[in-house]
Amino acid sequence: MAKGRLIARINWPGTAVLVFVALAWEAIVRSGLLDYEYLPAPSAIARGWGELAREGLLASDIAHTLSAVAIGWTAAMVLGVSLGFLLGLSATARRYSLASIEILRPMPGVAFAPVALLLFGFSLKTEMVVTILPVLWPVLVNTMGGVTSVHQRLHDVGRTFRLSRRDTILRIVLPAAMPPIVAGARIGLGLALVLAVIAEMVGNPAGLGYGIVREQQALRPDLMFAYIVTVGLIGIALNAGMLALAEALLPSFRQLRGEP
Amino acid sequence: MRSARPWLHYVRLGVAALPSARGLLPLVVLLGAWQLLQTGRSAYFPPPSDWWNGLMLLSKSGRLYPALLATTITLLLGLALAVAIGTAAGLFIGVFPRFRRAAGPLLEFLRAVPPPAIVPVAILFMGYDERMKLTVVVLAAIWPILLNTASAAERVHPLLLDVARSFRLSALDRMRLIVLPSVLPAILLGIRVALPVAIVVTLLVEILTSIEGIGALMIGAQRNFQSSQVYGLLVLIGLFGLLVNNVFAVVEAILLRRWPPKTQGENF
Repeated sequence: MAKGRLIARINWPGTAVLVFVALAWEAIVRSGLLDYEYLPAPSAIARGWGELAREGLLASDIAHTLSAVAIGWTAAMVLGVSLGFLLGLSATARRYSLASIEILRPMPGVAFAPVALLLFGFSLKTEMVVTILPVLWPVLVNTMGGVTSVHQRLHDVGRTFRLSRRDTILRIVLPAAMPPIVAGARIGLGLALVLAVIAEMVGNPAGLGYGIVREQQALRPDLMFAYIVTVGLIGIALNAGMLALAEALLPSFRQLRGEP
Repeated sequence: MRSARPWLHYVRLGVAALPSARGLLPLVVLLGAWQLLQTGRSAYFPPPSDWWNGLMLLSKSGRLYPALLATTITLLLGLALAVAIGTAAGLFIGVFPRFRRAAGPLLEFLRAVPPPAIVPVAILFMGYDERMKLTVVVLAAIWPILLNTASAAERVHPLLLDVARSFRLSALDRMRLIVLPSVLPAILLGIRVALPVAIVVTLLVEILTSIEGIGALMIGAQRNFQSSQVYGLLVLIGLFGLLVNNVFAVVEAILLRRWPPKTQGENF
C-alpha cells in the first residue's frame, strides 16, 4: 500500500521530461546540430563534476560556501530576531526607526560589495557584509510583524497569571510569534546562499561562486556548469532541510506553508 | 472617491501610508555623527558631505547620467520582457494542467539555480555586451512571474470559466476577458518579487563585466580608491531602489482598483 502510494506520488511525466531534455541536449551537442563552442553535453558536465570531486576542489568549495552561509545566516538571525523583538515590543522604538528601515531595506545587497571591498579587500569579511545585510531585513520584518500581531488576549492571559515581563515574552510572545519568525528564517536562508555566491563572485575569491567565475574565465564550461548544478542542488537541499526542521519544531507550521 | 486623476489619489494614499517621519531619526543621527566626527580626510570613511562632492564630480565628468540611464533602461526593458514572456508562458502552463505536471520538475530545478549563477554562463555564450546584460536580467526576473501566473491560472474560479462557455467566448476572448483579469494580482505579486532580483542582477552584471551602468561606475570608483564616490553611488542606488519600489506600489494599487482580486470563496 505504502509502496503503491509512493509510486503514484512520483511525477512520472515530469521525470520523463527531465530525462528527455537531458537526452535531447546530449544528442544535439554530440551530433553537432547546435554548434556552440561552449555548450557542454550533460555527460561532459557529469565528468567535470567527477573531476572536481576527485581533485578535492568541490568538497572544499562546498565547505567554504556552506560555512559562509551558516555564519552569515546565524549572524543575521541573531541580529534580526533581537531587533525584531525590540521593535515589536516597543511602539516608541518602532515610531523612531521604521522609516529608516523602510529606506534601507530596498538597498540591493550587491551594492555593498564595492564599499566592503574598499574597507576589507578581498576577504571573508567582505563576503559577510554582502551576505548579512540583505538577510537581516526579512528576518527583522517578519519577527517584528509576528511580535506585534500577538493577540491582545494572550497578553491578558499573561497578566492574569501575573507572569513577569521576561516570562511573558519567553512563554507567550515567543511561541505565538514563532511561525512568522521561521518563515523569515527560511526566506533568509535561501537569500544567504544567493548572496554568498554573489559575494564570492565579486568580493571573496573562494567557494562555489568563485568556482563558477574561475571556470568561466578558464574557458572550462563543463566545470562551470558542474559548479552551477552544485549550487542549485545545495539550494534545494537547504530549503528542504529548513522545511523539515520547521515542521519538526512547529507542528502548526504544516498549515502555514503558504507563508505569511 | 473616484477622482478624475486616480494616480494623484494613490500618490496621496501612498504618502499617507508612509511610516512616521520621526522614524528617520536614527538615520539622521548616524549621518550627522559621521559628518561631525569625520573631519579629516579619511580614505575609508569619508564624511557624507564628501559623498555629495564625489557624485558632483562624477556628474561633471559626464559619466553619471549615461550610466544611470543605461541601468534604468536595462532594468525596465528586462522587466517588461520578463513580464511579457513570463505571463504568456505562465498562462499557457496554467491552462493546461497536464503540461504543468510534465514541466514541473524542470521548472523547479531551473528556479532553484540562483540568478547570479546565470551571469558567467551568459558571458561565455554571448560575450560582453548590452544584449547579454538584458538576457540575464530577463532570465533572473522571469521565474517568480511565470510560476505565480501559472499557479493562479490553474485556480481561476470554475464558475468564471462556465460563464465564458455560456457566452461562447473564443479562446482569445476567454483569455483576455476572464483569465487575465483573474490572474492579475498573481502577476503583480510576481513582479514585486522579481523587482529586487532584477536590480541586484543588473548591478552584478555591471560589476562583473564593467558594461556601462551604475554598478560599473561603482566598482571603477572602488578600484581607484575614490571612496567618496563609492559611498555617493551607494546612496544613489538606495534611492533608486526606493523610488522603483514606491512607483511600482502606486502602479499596483491603480491596477488592482481597476481589476480587484477575486477570491475563491466569493459569490458572483
